[in-house]
Amino acid sequence: MSAVEFSINTLKIFLLWFSIVNVVPVMLWVERRAAGLIQDRPGPNRVGPFGLFQAIADVIKFFWKMDPVPKHVNRFLFLIAPILSLIPASLTLAALPFADKMVIWGREYQLQVSDLHVGILYMLAIGSLGAYGILFGGWASNNKYSLLGALRASAQMISYEIPLGLAACGAVLFFGTFSLRGMVFMQDGTLFGGLLPKWGIFFQPLGFLIFFITSLAETNRVPFDLPETEGELVAGFHTEYGSMKFAMFMMAEYMNLATMSGLMTAMYFGGWHIPYVSDATLLSWLGGSVNLLAIVQLGVFFFKLYTFLLIYVWIRWTLPRFRFDQLMRVAWKNLIPLSMINLIVTAILLYFWEMR
Amino acid sequence: MSKEWLICGAGIMTLASALMVVLSSNAIYSAIGLLISLFGLSALYLLWGSAFLSVIQVLIYAGAIVVLFVFVVMLLDMSRVVQTGKGPGWFTTLLVTGTGWIFSLFLLRALNRGNFAGAIEHKALGSISVLSKILFREYLWPFEVLSVFLLAVVISAYCLARPESLDNSGSDGVSIKGPKGGRS
Amino acid sequence: MDLYLPIAILFIIGAGAGLVIIGLSSILGPRNPQATKLSVYECGVTPEGSARIPFKSRFYLIAVLFLLFDVEAVFFFPWALVYRESVRTGDAGLLFAMLIYMGFIALGLVYIFRKNVLELD
Repeated sequence: MSAVEFSINTLKIFLLWFSIVNVVPVMLWVERRAAGLIQDRPGPNRVGPFGLFQAIADVIKFFWKMDPVPKHVNRFLFLIAPILSLIPASLTLAALPFADKMVIWGREYQLQVSDLHVGILYMLAIGSLGAYGILFGGWASNNKYSLLGALRASAQMISYEIPLGLAACGAVLFFGTFSLRGMVFMQDGTLFGGLLPKWGIFFQPLGFLIFFITSLAETNRVPFDLPETEGELVAGFHTEYGSMKFAMFMMAEYMNLATMSGLMTAMYFGGWHIPYVSDATLLSWLGGSVNLLAIVQLGVFFFKLYTFLLIYVWIRWTLPRFRFDQLMRVAWKNLIPLSMINLIVTAILLYFWEMR
Repeated sequence: MSKEWLICGAGIMTLASALMVVLSSNAIYSAIGLLISLFGLSALYLLWGSAFLSVIQVLIYAGAIVVLFVFVVMLLDMSRVVQTGKGPGWFTTLLVTGTGWIFSLFLLRALNRGNFAGAIEHKALGSISVLSKILFREYLWPFEVLSVFLLAVVISAYCLARPESLDNSGSDGVSIKGPKGGRS
Repeated sequence: MDLYLPIAILFIIGAGAGLVIIGLSSILGPRNPQATKLSVYECGVTPEGSARIPFKSRFYLIAVLFLLFDVEAVFFFPWALVYRESVRTGDAGLLFAMLIYMGFIALGLVYIFRKNVLELD
């Protein structure tokens, strides 16, 4: 690999990472404006047009706040816990296929950090490490509320990891590959003579539903936000955190949310494909320019990703929160058996489909 | 050539953090050492060409087993445990691990399995589909027996950590619903 | 190896961003520590007792069960990868292999449901 290639690749990785990090300020604004809209109040509307600069103001405020390290905490763990939750959140986006490829100076660059053979398994594995930031943060804080929040969070995350994996396994079963890029390529085209786009959701509806519910729980969103219930636990595992250290937990949470949305887009909603328009047709419309195609594909991918993020916000301001025992019951008694049934039904249907 | 260096680096990382597990007197630092050690092992698998094993290593060991350990550390009242001792100390640790290491080297030589280069070149480990075909054809029976075994483990795990017996004995146990027991 | 170098770069970017953010915020923020700011945050109530309270063993049991079912779930992945290809060649063996395997997992699930392990109170 030449030096030029290496630097372009590094730049590409940074830009892809940055595009996911950018979800954070956007969501800071969207979440509050949407909350205002849903609750019939204006929301932040003073800073800039439509309050658009509110997110920037928030970030600046976070940086210029005092960053206290209380006396009673375990100093080392208290400091590294936010980084420990940011690193897995950054690493999971490695397997996300943003778009096909770009050609720069006669060299192809895939618009994906790395097309791993073990793509989806890698995402699940790194995703399961997200619990450590929360666990260590809660324990190091040496505060009852933090510890309770951390315990709740970890019990919840590990319980929902199994249905998440099994639901993803349904998609693997159908597509026959771990590579998310491969999955997206297989969703190009239409079904039943042009009636429906050939998307994963039409083959794995139950799998998608389970995956979606589980992704809410894995990212600690409402109705599964028990780790940070403000009425019971002050703020949960990050009660003692302030300034940017607190913001980093939030950053990791939103990045995980974006990665989950991207994963659902790639697995169930055709990734970068526009419905009813195949890649080849689009390429001919754009005059055969691969780079233009990649830009359109990026746009489509992010459109789908942000649609999912909007749905998350919508759910947050619509549903009430579960109780902890209900949460565990949903995971073990409903979602795990359902995802196993989903696997069996998919396997049997595939058997007859392939046996024709 | 750089691959050998990476393997050496990952190996040193694994061993150094494993030493940290033994030597640290704080249980949570031991857990962190174990975590780093498992990542080193996972990197070693990756460098030996088995991406699948490497990812499974992270998923099961780093993502599940160490979470369990950290759970236990948090569940117990660690202030009592931390103060009990300072760990075995450098000299004892090095003596024990060194003896074990030399012994296992001799064992490997005696079994004539010291050919690590051959293990690295084993192609079946690299391809996941080849691996799963071997698993579900040649090792189908062990695989099915494993499910019975895991069922037995589920039952025995329940019997060992039966909630009724433990909850009653530990009267100072606190429910997760709130600091003062679950009224919410 | 080309597949995993980008991940190492991503790791460096993520960890570096974390360190830079923490460093910047400690430089930019004011430093005005007071005893109340540095005490345990319990919404104004004076903290009582240690935060290191023992918890119910049920959470330990849930973690053990998660571990076991995670191990069981991992075996689905290699199976799912080759299943379709294998069925295409007319081999139904994999389907029955997994049905038996899943039957035992279901037995384990039914057992923990019957024992009310998950009824947290």
